Amino acid sequence: MRISIENLTKIFPSRHKAGENVTAVNDMCIEIPSGKLVGLLGPSGCGKSTTLFMLSGLEKPTSGHIIFEDEDVTTLAPEKRGIGLVFQNYALYPHMTVEQNIMFPLVNMRLPKEEARQRALEAAELVQIEELLTRKPSELSGGQQQRVAIARALVKMPNVLLLDEPLSNLDARLRLQTREEIKRIQRATGITTVFVTHDQEEAMSICDQMVVMKLGVVQQMGEPQEIYDNPNNLFVANFLGTPPINIFKGKVENGGIYIGDEKVGETNVGDQEVFIGIRPEGFIYDPMGALTVNVQNVEVMGRDKTVVSTHPSSTKPTIRSIIDSDIKLPKDALQLKFNIKPNKLFLFNAETEERIYDGR
Amino acid sequence: MEDKQVRDESLAVEENLDNQEMDNQELDDQKLDDQLDSLIEEAVLETESQKPRQKMRLESFKRGAYHEQGWLFVLPAVLLMCVFTFYPIINTFVSAFKVGYKPLDSAYELKWGFENFVRVLRGDTGTGGANFARCFWNTLAFTFISVPVSTLLALLISVALNSIKVLQKAYQTIFFLPYLTNALAMGAVFATLFNVVGTGNTVETVGLINVLLGRTADNYINWINLGSDIWANRFVVIIYEIWSGLPFKILILFSALQNVNKQYYDAAKVDGASKSTILWKITVPLISPMLSYLLITGIMGGMKVYTAVVGLFGESMGQEYEVGTMVGYLYNYIEKGETGYAAAGSLILFGIIMIITLINLYVSKKRVHY
Ligand SMILES: Nc1ncnc2c1ncn2[C@@H]1O[C@H](COP(=O)(O)OP(=O)(O)O)[C@@H](O)[C@H]1O
Ligand SMILES: [Mg+2]
Repeated sequence: MRISIENLTKIFPSRHKAGENVTAVNDMCIEIPSGKLVGLLGPSGCGKSTTLFMLSGLEKPTSGHIIFEDEDVTTLAPEKRGIGLVFQNYALYPHMTVEQNIMFPLVNMRLPKEEARQRALEAAELVQIEELLTRKPSELSGGQQQRVAIARALVKMPNVLLLDEPLSNLDARLRLQTREEIKRIQRATGITTVFVTHDQEEAMSICDQMVVMKLGVVQQMGEPQEIYDNPNNLFVANFLGTPPINIFKGKVENGGIYIGDEKVGETNVGDQEVFIGIRPEGFIYDPMGALTVNVQNVEVMGRDKTVVSTHPSSTKPTIRSIIDSDIKLPKDALQLKFNIKPNKLFLFNAETEERIYDGR
Repeated sequence: MEDKQVRDESLAVEENLDNQEMDNQELDDQKLDDQLDSLIEEAVLETESQKPRQKMRLESFKRGAYHEQGWLFVLPAVLLMCVFTFYPIINTFVSAFKVGYKPLDSAYELKWGFENFVRVLRGDTGTGGANFARCFWNTLAFTFISVPVSTLLALLISVALNSIKVLQKAYQTIFFLPYLTNALAMGAVFATLFNVVGTGNTVETVGLINVLLGRTADNYINWINLGSDIWANRFVVIIYEIWSGLPFKILILFSALQNVNKQYYDAAKVDGASKSTILWKITVPLISPMLSYLLITGIMGGMKVYTAVVGLFGESMGQEYEVGTMVGYLYNYIEKGETGYAAAGSLILFGIIMIITLINLYVSKKRVHY
């Protein structure tokens, strides 16, 4: 099911008379294509959950519209929207067994008991928990609880599946495993899925499309790789990628990009002060290179190595440059020189922090 | 502390040695060494004995060697408990099993037996007091009607209270106020509400409740006055018990409701649960520990109803103790000086409460989600 979000805004009135209203979601306009896994990504408190709850119908938008296919569902009650929702901490009913939990939506639909049981079993098989059906949620591990929550959301065969940070309560290993699982289930069912996370790696790894948010405002939407390669602004560039992008204060002068006095690239934008973002993988070691950094240490990871260094123009305490492990670096060098790959270097307006695109 | 003392002592030993050396230059070395050795030995012994001594203390504490001192600390409490708890309990057993026991008789001359129990249960106490069977059935009727109804009402009220936003605190206060009111005073107020003033053809007022029910002097219901039906009497007591039980139950259930994670309700809404499904399938199970606590304590309290009945019907608990309760029965026989019957009655009551509580615990273990 295609979802259109039009000018969606949510303002929470302040609890205290003197306090300020909170604009959790601000004029959001996005299209979620049918059958895709879409990630809502942003730092904590940027309005991801609020967006999800408005999609589910649990929160009423202050203004704007939500359209499922061609139907305006903005004011429709949650149970009439045909959605499945998985809460951040699962919200499994603690007094019911796993089977009763999964069957609960079906019982409410007044399905015959036998059919409900059969469908609950199918949903349980889909998430591979069929041998846990008689247990109570308190007797399950975090990962198992999470599967039960997904089964409960899927059992009514929703048109849209909404997941609120479904992996945040799992340990690192299980998180990797479960995100593959979610991808598999989404593929198998073909249900349009919206997946909320604050972890960019998680979003990048499984989403077909990604929406990056900041303070309630959509910053950019697109395929993960596309956003990574072409961030709209400094925030998006900074938020995506591990290790994060390196940012320098610099300037453009006569078609040259300068960090300090060193010319690291060329452009055809006009002379101005800029922020220069360089991805860690955008450094090429070259004894005659353009950019000189003060080496702190070199981390060898096997596959590649990371040069941790400092530079007076860097806006962060350290710069990380990832280079191939085959490349020999001079031992105990205090300074190293790098050339910069042009496609890994982005210019941002020093005031608005918006991307300055090269005219070429 | 002790370590330091030991150190000081060994210092003193050394000083002592110095002095001796100064005074007796010609003292031969051998003798000095001997003295030194023995003094050092003493000091060392002293230090080393510290550890075992502490260990010994701990062990002897475990063995109970320090209990004399411990008892001293709890003596006031123990004395009070002996006088006001243990002695009465023992005495209850003694007087219950001594046939025909009265406070002023010498219990030693009476023979042991179950006769008090038999007479209480049969109802032939021969002194014209309250009837045990009637008191028993009254109490059961009061308890097993008023406690469930009152708990259910409290549940509905607290759910309603929990869902309103304006004036929530104000309503909370209003519902809690009766808790602070004296039971006898409330009984008197209830008696007034149900009272019919006047006799025969000259009825002056039929009481507020009759008025509210639209009854007049011709067809009023005789709730509590002379010649009233036992079920009318019981009804008044039950209404009173329901009402007076509400505040505490609402307080407990309301705070239990506030502790329920709101996400369960959100999840249930998404799952398409109706309001009543949410109440009975989600809310009630989630607060079931509190409900079971209220039912158990409510039933235990209900078995001990007394003041309400006195407030409503006076000390005779009706004309001839017909609205009496089990606790009322005990007081009645104590007053008559028939302590043997009162004690036997109280042990029966104890047994009944215990059986009911055990059943309660058994049921709640099966049905309550903790
Ligand atoms: N019920 C609410 N009342 C008031 N403010 C809220 C409420 N829910 C969320 N907010 C605020 O809205 C903003 C976005 O919250 P949320 O959508 O939960 O963020 P995220 O899920 O991205 O971490 C936050 O600043 C939060 O404090
Ligand atoms: Mg959130």
